[in-house]
Amino acid sequence: MTSTVEKVLEVKDLVVEFKTDRGTIKAVNGVNFDVFKGKTVGIVGESGSGKSVSALAIMGLIPNPPGRVASGQILFNGKSLVNMPAAEMRKIRGNKIAMIFQEPMTSLNPVFTIGNQIEEVIELHQPQLSKKEREAKVVDMLRLVGIPSPDKRVKEYPHQLSGGMRQRVMIAIALSCEPDILIADEPTTALDVTIQAQILELMKKLQKELGMGIILITHDLGVVAETCDTVAVMYCGQIVESADVKTLFNHPRHPYTKGLMDSIPSFDSTSGHTKERLQTIEGMVPSLFDLPAGCNFQDRCINVTEQCRGSLGEPILRDMSDEGAVHLAACFNPLKKFEGKGL
Amino acid sequence: MSEYLLEVKNLTKVFPIKGGLLGREVGSVKAVNDVSFKIKKGETLGLVGESGCGKTTLGRSILRLIEPTSGEILFNGKNIVNFTPSEMRAVRRKMQIIFQDPYASLNPRMTIGDILSEPMDIHELHTDKAARKARLLQLLAQVQLPQDALNKYPHEFSGGQRQRICIARALAVEPEFIVCDEPVSALDVSVQAQVVNLLMDLQRDLGLTFLFIAHDLKVVEYISNRVAVMYLGNMVEVAESSELYGDAKHPYTKALFSAIPHATTAVRSDRIILQGDIPSPMNPPTGCHFNPRCWNATEVCRQTFPGLTQHSSTHMYRCYNPINPTK
Repeated sequence: MTSTVEKVLEVKDLVVEFKTDRGTIKAVNGVNFDVFKGKTVGIVGESGSGKSVSALAIMGLIPNPPGRVASGQILFNGKSLVNMPAAEMRKIRGNKIAMIFQEPMTSLNPVFTIGNQIEEVIELHQPQLSKKEREAKVVDMLRLVGIPSPDKRVKEYPHQLSGGMRQRVMIAIALSCEPDILIADEPTTALDVTIQAQILELMKKLQKELGMGIILITHDLGVVAETCDTVAVMYCGQIVESADVKTLFNHPRHPYTKGLMDSIPSFDSTSGHTKERLQTIEGMVPSLFDLPAGCNFQDRCINVTEQCRGSLGEPILRDMSDEGAVHLAACFNPLKKFEGKGL
Repeated sequence: MSEYLLEVKNLTKVFPIKGGLLGREVGSVKAVNDVSFKIKKGETLGLVGESGCGKTTLGRSILRLIEPTSGEILFNGKNIVNFTPSEMRAVRRKMQIIFQDPYASLNPRMTIGDILSEPMDIHELHTDKAARKARLLQLLAQVQLPQDALNKYPHEFSGGQRQRICIARALAVEPEFIVCDEPVSALDVSVQAQVVNLLMDLQRDLGLTFLFIAHDLKVVEYISNRVAVMYLGNMVEVAESSELYGDAKHPYTKALFSAIPHATTAVRSDRIILQGDIPSPMNPPTGCHFNPRCWNATEVCRQTFPGLTQHSSTHMYRCYNPINPTK
């Protein structure tokens, strides 16, 4: 990673625990990643892998009890966010670090106009602005996210807008204080593909204009490949592989990463009517209550050997690259280079 | 008997919109508008389109779970639209459906054994106790679930396993035709691939015919022999799945395919970003419904609804200004 780019967020050995009737589980277990100004970090993984919990931990939104950040650090511009006093956290949340949620249908308040909801954020974090200035800013924000005739739309209620338009309003709310970091948790999952393409394009454009760092959480590898600079793949609360996006997609080293890529049907494989079976990852994600000793992926892995089953402990992230760029993977038997699909 | 198992002719479904104090009809939505297609025995027809385009309504109308407003549905050569309820019940044994949400479509208070037995009870199949048991175990084996699943409840299974149970339930009455309504959309990618493979294996082994509805074009293209694209209640293009991706004629199909993110980092030059939203089906634009978002639209597109153009024996589209019309 070049040192010329400013690091805005550093997550170090983050562990998030939840207490349940059946015992304590670690939803996030020792996660490390950095966010740089103007760059996008992708976090991919299947349901329950700890993607969203990591994001909520950064926002200080882990419901406590039952959850808590058990150990590790989250440094925002060098300042620790873990155990920050609530009043101070409120100044950062929504202002310096903003978040877009998955469901544009349920994350807006149905009884307030969208203008109202954007204005609320500005009023809270920029009290120096007058009512007039705030209202002008709301219209500007709606224009920025590409909502047509914004001066009329401010008076509309969420139910009058389509899913894509609502997600634009969510983005407008998130960006209204010009945050340093935008956390987007599955921002396009609930949207149709043509609308998804619009929203992703918009996020890229706004990132260029405002220079924020983005954490993009998704299960769609296609979205990651097209929008992120670096990627972390999560499995059972841990990062199992991370690298810059080109390296990861061209030379995945962890069998899970490759398995995920192979599970997606690609258009070129079907031409000429010789449909090969889809590659699958056998079995399913183990329960967090009942993780195996050693590597969490052992029962589904094609490269599994005796040492994966606990004799060497858990695999830790190691640098797999022989050149400059950092390419970490947590695997005892990583795939050889050039085994990826290639371009 | 013809080679076609299912033939749908001019199927239309209009939903009334009620409003006002007296609940009078104030308008209507044409959810499915004059749709015709045929499916051969053993074939999979994919049906794609964005939310609200009428895919699900079409799928359910074919089984008469939603009563179509007009049109004909020929199943094995017989028009089932005017069948009486008892005649319909006999036909439904041959036509089954798998729903999108495996969490909501299984009764949480019934064991898997009861869930799989219910359709066989209704159709009085395998009534002998030993035969029933053997059939249940056979069904579980077909969808690759362990035998001890019979006495468990749905909450004990993961999403992928529940979808296997739904598939087994559909198979219980030995159908010929299954409507798969977004069967893998709610599943994680690695599990999705398992279920897609299972459906294809079952089709090969049991000679099933599928109508496969999904919004994920990659999955549809993979599993289907032919693909139909819907936009605002109309079928705008039908073609062999291998042909549709490379040689789409309708601009909407082209845009839909180009909008899919690919899991490679190669630079994309073909991305088309459509402007605007999908119009409300209550008040569709005049002329071609796609004209406000289309970059090829001309005057005629704004005035009259385009008819079907037969490009080849398997490729049809509704467009005045198609892409590469002569190729």
